[in-house]
Amino acid sequence: MKKIILSFLLVINGLICSFAQTNAEVEMATDFRSSGKIYVVILVLAIILIGLAIYLFTIDRKITRLEKSRKA
Amino acid sequence: MTMKHYWWKILALLLLLYGIIAGLLGPVPALPIVHETIRNVYFHVPMWFTMFTLYLISVIYSIKYLSSNNPHHDLVAVESVNVGVIFCTFGLLTGMAWANFTWGAPWPNDPKLNGSAIATLMYLAYLVLRNALEEEQKRAKISAIYNVFAFPIMIVLMYILPKTTDSLHPGAGGNSGFGQFDLDGSMKAVLYPTAIGWILTGIWLMTLRFRIRKLEYQNHTVSE
Amino acid sequence: MSLLKEVGSLIQKDIILEWRSKYALNGILLYVVSTVFVCYQAFKSVDPTTWNVLFWIIMLFASVNAINKSFVQESQHRQLYYYTIAGPKAIILSKIGYNVLIMLLLSAIAFTAYAVIFGTPVGDLTLYLLAVVLGAVSFAAVFTMVSGIAAKAGNNSTLMAVLSFPIIIPLLIILIRLSKNAMLGLDWSVSYPELLVLAAINVITVTISLSLFPYLWRD
Repeated sequence: MKKIILSFLLVINGLICSFAQTNAEVEMATDFRSSGKIYVVILVLAIILIGLAIYLFTIDRKITRLEKSRKA
Repeated sequence: MTMKHYWWKILALLLLLYGIIAGLLGPVPALPIVHETIRNVYFHVPMWFTMFTLYLISVIYSIKYLSSNNPHHDLVAVESVNVGVIFCTFGLLTGMAWANFTWGAPWPNDPKLNGSAIATLMYLAYLVLRNALEEEQKRAKISAIYNVFAFPIMIVLMYILPKTTDSLHPGAGGNSGFGQFDLDGSMKAVLYPTAIGWILTGIWLMTLRFRIRKLEYQNHTVSE
Repeated sequence: MSLLKEVGSLIQKDIILEWRSKYALNGILLYVVSTVFVCYQAFKSVDPTTWNVLFWIIMLFASVNAINKSFVQESQHRQLYYYTIAGPKAIILSKIGYNVLIMLLLSAIAFTAYAVIFGTPVGDLTLYLLAVVLGAVSFAAVFTMVSGIAAKAGNNSTLMAVLSFPIIIPLLIILIRLSKNAMLGLDWSVSYPELLVLAAINVITVTISLSLFPYLWRD
């Protein structure tokens, strides 16, 4: 009997917890995304990334040239 | 060099671009405490993946060096550690920044955090050992031995110990893994490609450093 | 000569050499007793958690000092001589074996001195002693190889500390956790993961030492 009551209480507790989780609104940056301004951030990050990549490619090229001149 | 040799570097760039776009726009579960910072998973976790891959490459090349005595293998091993330490620093710094806003302190007493800090010490010790040895062959051999000796202990430190201890990180010490929040796998679809992108970038950096070192090494041996 | 016989005679040689000078032995004795005494003067009495951690810290520094000498004491000529009569595997095994003996002796001295001066707030003494023995063995296993590496890199004791501490810290964390369980008198089943990880680390270190030492030895 005790076990049944205990498991019943557990189930209730779990239900309350899950309800509490869905009900409490977790604040997310939905406005930022819907207003479209997030794209500005993406643009900035993409520019930095592409810039760095171009820089790396030039270094790569330079080393390749050096390797070739050594072999020659 | 033709385009043929560059394809994986371009792939790395595209994967990173995908990571930025999908990482900021894609759907994420709304969780208390972490809120939008859950997106940090896409940028913080790949640092550790990359570090681990580089250390793995390093230990493989240390083993190769011990059986071949080819100085180039030693150069790959040390440059992997050099780049791996950079990614470890990024992982620690990004983790500290994130922890400060979600767990309330930049250095909460967490086994994963402490483990990675100690692993960093291990690889700094490897670099100190290299500086302590003057003769090139001896330096290569002895540091390779230390690298192979320390690697399994790093695995225990970073992957086995945290699993048996209480941790703030998901997937450790009774915490549920992050797969539980990511029911439709949409987070994995961003995390894994981004991680591959970062790993490729790390390897790219390592090969750049290795090629410079090789050129220096050749200059050095010719001039003598 | 079989490997086991070689190892046995090499350990015997190390013990005879040590017995003749009693250098390491007296050093350890003095080091441990004076450290414990200094700690006693500084702390007077400690709470159980500090008691446990303090013990392992004393053990850590005592063992670094004890094992640091294991390769240093051999002169270059003598090493060359061993190279001709014994294989590298026998040498590293004998060194680990000898260091295990030294560490067991050291931990026995340390624990006795510590227990006499500070008392023993331990719930499960058997498990605590098991933790001490396991700690002694794992310290010996890790430090032997690292001291070999440090010896090849110019016998620098700073280098020994730099190289060994990152490796020994995970061991120390597990040992402190295990001995804390013992101190609280928890059931043995609680400590199984720690015992398992310790055993695994020991097996791994000895295997890796065995396979790496031949490369280190060859000059």
